[in-house]
Amino acid sequence: MRIVIAEDTAILRAGLAELLATRGHEVVAAVADGDALLAAVAEHLPDVAVIDIRMPPTHTDEGLRAALRLRQERPELGVLLFSQYIETKYATELLAGKSAGVGYLLKERVADIDEFVDALGRVAAGGTALDPEVVTQLFGASRRTDSLDTLTPREREVLALMAEGRTNAAIADTLVVSGRAVEKHVANIFAKLGLPPSEADHRRVLAVLRYMQS
Amino acid sequence: MEGQAALRTVLRAPFAARTWARLLYAVIALVLGVAGGYALLLLLAAGTLLSVTFIGLPLIALVLAVVRPVGRLHRWLIRTLLGEEIAAPHPIRRGSGLLGRLRGRLGDVVAWRAVAYLLAKIPLSILAAAVGIGVLAEGLWSASYPLWWRINPDTVHTGHGTARRFGFSIGSFYFDTWPRAFLVCAAGLVVLLLWPWPVRAVLALDRMIARSLLGPVRLSERVADLEQTRAQAVEGAAATLRQIERDLHDGAQARLVSLAMSLTLVKDSLRGDSVDLTRARELVDTAHSGAKEAIVELRDLVRGIHPPVLDQGLEPALRTLAARSTPPPITSYDLPTRPSPAIETIGYFCVAELLTNITRHSAAKHVDLSAKLTGGLLVLRVVDDGDGGADPTRGSGLAGLANRVRTVDGRMHIDSPPGGPTVITVALPANPVRS
Repeated sequence: MRIVIAEDTAILRAGLAELLATRGHEVVAAVADGDALLAAVAEHLPDVAVIDIRMPPTHTDEGLRAALRLRQERPELGVLLFSQYIETKYATELLAGKSAGVGYLLKERVADIDEFVDALGRVAAGGTALDPEVVTQLFGASRRTDSLDTLTPREREVLALMAEGRTNAAIADTLVVSGRAVEKHVANIFAKLGLPPSEADHRRVLAVLRYMQS
Repeated sequence: MEGQAALRTVLRAPFAARTWARLLYAVIALVLGVAGGYALLLLLAAGTLLSVTFIGLPLIALVLAVVRPVGRLHRWLIRTLLGEEIAAPHPIRRGSGLLGRLRGRLGDVVAWRAVAYLLAKIPLSILAAAVGIGVLAEGLWSASYPLWWRINPDTVHTGHGTARRFGFSIGSFYFDTWPRAFLVCAAGLVVLLLWPWPVRAVLALDRMIARSLLGPVRLSERVADLEQTRAQAVEGAAATLRQIERDLHDGAQARLVSLAMSLTLVKDSLRGDSVDLTRARELVDTAHSGAKEAIVELRDLVRGIHPPVLDQGLEPALRTLAARSTPPPITSYDLPTRPSPAIETIGYFCVAELLTNITRHSAAKHVDLSAKLTGGLLVLRVVDDGDGGADPTRGSGLAGLANRVRTVDGRMHIDSPPGGPTVITVALPANPVRS
């Protein structure tokens, strides 16, 4: 993958670049603010951008603003927001409208580099990667608790993993069950929540999220 | 010597610019005071009479709104011509909506006090003008007596067929000879010489009344002060929390994430059969120093929130602080009892900030730090022989400290002429709740 990193804390910028390089990815640019990010993307045309939300000058949501702009101007670019906190509001804004190729992860997820690179790959390929924390918050904030209550504990686990953007195969691996079992759970979930069946992974994520936010 | 000085003062008084400024004030005050006072009376009376209709109260409110700037005008006159600075009272607290604003105007204590001043001003200004102009005129009339008594004099016919021609008489004593005329002149000169003093006395009365009626209201001023310092304290606390969050986010938290990254790299390098030990050692070194840096940052941050040594008392805390700062201050402590914890904390952070300022900005070689309890006050004093020119209006550090000190009714005094030395004294009530 060709990657651009936007992160204002120097040690994290350098650390992340090194990590991704050891995994055989090409970090084409590592910048420290939103404007530099837009310029770097225009120059290098990367597959995916890893963007810190809080960057200079205001240290509030510059990264999110830049990400939204990039998503509008370059739909083919994968955008992974990368932050020390999860704000449901940011996730909602990011997922609004066109929805392929987005991700939102806590910075600490880099500690598990395989999962992180996997998520980054999903985003670059047009998929979705949401932090479990985002999913938990969306579950918590959901007004549809009644229908969520009708799900079995196992189905809720599957739903959470689905919302994070995982494929059926990945869910099967995580829960140590067969692929067939996962497919059955997914079908049940869609039926219980009254969602139209959907094949493409990122579309099922969106279906779930829309459902929880509506 | 003192007698001579007093004599010089008396002799110079009639020619001093101050004296004529007072006369000018008396004249302006007569016009302003009488005209303004009567206009005010008229309008207030009209407002009161009309208060049965709906325009009465708005009229009074309007008058009160105008009275405030008139008060300002009088303060300006007193400052410019009498050289007395009267502090401005607090600005009006505006209500919202038409009714709220009306109520705000009608309840404006400052304006009503100005009304009282303007009413008192009617007799006062007449008195001042009478004394100022009257005594001056009398002095000039007498002093110039020799010049005019022969022109068109009064004439009386006394017994023996003689006529006395005079300009001025006291009873049957006629000032009708040249020696007597010069006697009148001498008396006039004395009056002119002493003329400034009664004027001054009358205007002193005016100033006293102006001070108490046009100046700030004690209680309402106190409330305004409390409101302001409370707002500052709340903002300060919020800003501190924001700063702590920021420090954690950019500091320790980022370092821990980076540490996790380093350890990930270590894990990666140890995976597989052929382990590159040199590379692994490097990575472990990086992770190790990252962990130590995170610890240092956390410790600094914790000390910034509340230095643990402060629990032992202000003196040990200040000793620790002094030992860490450059140049090391010469210290003296006289703290027989402990101030309340909040005061100790504020005092500690004041000294910490002042010492940091000295290190950063002053190029001082010697610093003195003293802390003592006296008369229920904790007095902290920091003296340095640096560049001076410390100004609370420039840069927010000192202003922020002053605000913090004011929240507990403390005072900060800064004496820092350009070129130094700088003496900053902070006085805090040692037990603000009890006293």
